[in-house]
Amino acid sequence: MNVGAAIRATITFLIFVVLHYTLRPLLGWRAPMDFLILALLLASVRVRPATAAIIGFLLGLISDSLAPDALGAGAIAMTVVGFGASYLKAVFFADNLVLNAFFFFLGKWVFDILYFVGEQRVKGVELLQQLLLWSPLSAAVTAAVGVLLLFLMRPLLEPTPA
Amino acid sequence: MQRTLRSNTRFDLIVLSTCVVLALAARALPNNLREPVATGMRRSFLAPLVMLQESAERGRQSLLSADAKQQYLDSLSLNAMKAESLQMENERLRKLIGLGSGVRWGFIPAEALHGRGVRDETTVILSAGSRAGVSRLSPVIAPEGLVGVVDQVDPTMSHAMLWTHPDFRVSAMSPDGTAFGIAQAHLTGATGGYLIELRGVPFRATLKPGQMIVSSGWGGVWPRGIPIGTILQEIKTSEGWARTYLLRPAVNPADVYQVMILRRDRLAKGLDGVWTSVAQVDAAAQKIVLSGDSAAKAAALAEAAARRAVLDSMARANGVAPLGAGADSVAAAAAARAAAQRAAERRRAAAEGRAPDTTVRRDTNNVRTDTIRRDSVRTDTIPRRPGGMR
Repeated sequence: MNVGAAIRATITFLIFVVLHYTLRPLLGWRAPMDFLILALLLASVRVRPATAAIIGFLLGLISDSLAPDALGAGAIAMTVVGFGASYLKAVFFADNLVLNAFFFFLGKWVFDILYFVGEQRVKGVELLQQLLLWSPLSAAVTAAVGVLLLFLMRPLLEPTPA
Repeated sequence: MQRTLRSNTRFDLIVLSTCVVLALAARALPNNLREPVATGMRRSFLAPLVMLQESAERGRQSLLSADAKQQYLDSLSLNAMKAESLQMENERLRKLIGLGSGVRWGFIPAEALHGRGVRDETTVILSAGSRAGVSRLSPVIAPEGLVGVVDQVDPTMSHAMLWTHPDFRVSAMSPDGTAFGIAQAHLTGATGGYLIELRGVPFRATLKPGQMIVSSGWGGVWPRGIPIGTILQEIKTSEGWARTYLLRPAVNPADVYQVMILRRDRLAKGLDGVWTSVAQVDAAAQKIVLSGDSAAKAAALAEAAARRAVLDSMARANGVAPLGAGADSVAAAAAARAAAQRAAERRRAAAEGRAPDTTVRRDTNNVRTDTIRRDSVRTDTIPRRPGGMR
């Protein structure tokens, strides 16, 4: 990845992080989209797994700092998701919007599973309901929004022609 | 090449393991350590993001409460509109009560139900009928004056001809009885509204604009003394032997909703002086309302003064000057305290049977010199008293 592409990817990453703390609370949906996961996935497929793990760890700490009871749970989940996304980028990340949507969906769902299990706040039937109903819904919304943003930000994310 | 790849993979796994261990360590932190760590992050590099999130939350709350606020504003506006109509209705009812107390007996209160069809501006349905004592040709009056006359009666309601009806006539006169005539409706061409014309006034009788015209009591339908209208101007007609005047009606039938129907046995007694007393009752009601307002204002002032006194005494108890107290008020408070002490001492001395200590009166002299102003000394009013010393 050259310098221009790195700068564009960084700008995209920052835009997603800002959207997470502005658009998401503004909408206040029951199954919200997760812009941090989108930012992490888009960054992870552009860097090597170790860097993706560090980015995931830092992003997780950022999200956990606003929910101190779950401090660490988000960091673990995002570290694993980032590392996995970077490790499997050859499989998943292609120039196909449907595949990208599935990639986002899976990333968000895996994150939620790791997060809620690690957080240990929700248990029993409520945990099942969260993981099998609200998390997939949230993952679907995240995937849809991610695909839409990818479509809109294509000029920013496309590799520079040689 | 393969060795490099294996080395990279190992490095990635080491980094992953380190991150996971660190995250687990954060997760395993005791509660009393988690909060400081999170707070430190929120207050340092995450502060802008937290600020953004707060702004978004406030925006969401504003959006959610916008509908409720709009509904609240709408209901307030509706209440304000209702309040105005209620106030007008209250005023009308108060006037009607005043008229009732003036007429005293022999009347039936009724509601006037206006239609909205053709000729409805000249007739009206009344909510009282023969069961309530209404009979044909019963006069219909309002607090302002003459409204019309009942022309059809049903058991539960009746039909009245308003003064705007083309067939309506009433014998009228000036209150001093110097001019008589017949009043009837006058349709103005310019505005399409109704005025009253007073026809057949003797040529020798001149009426001035603004003069009140009342019913004369002749004819047996209308009692004497009901206001019909006020003189606007004289109009020229072909009748050379009499004058015709244009009157501004006392009652606008479209605005009449509560009326009184006079019973036949009441007509013989006349209504002289009733409208004067109605005006007096109305004025008395206005005075009662005003005095109620001033009483409420006085109560509010007294409450504010009591609250201020409590605050001042609390401030004094704490050893500081009262809020908003200047040097004058502090000096006045000190003088008041000294006066209270002197009074207590006098009482004690009277109880013990000894003369009070007058040395403290110097303070009172000091205070009193200010109260006697040069312009208020009355020595000039009697410059030379008879037998007095020069």
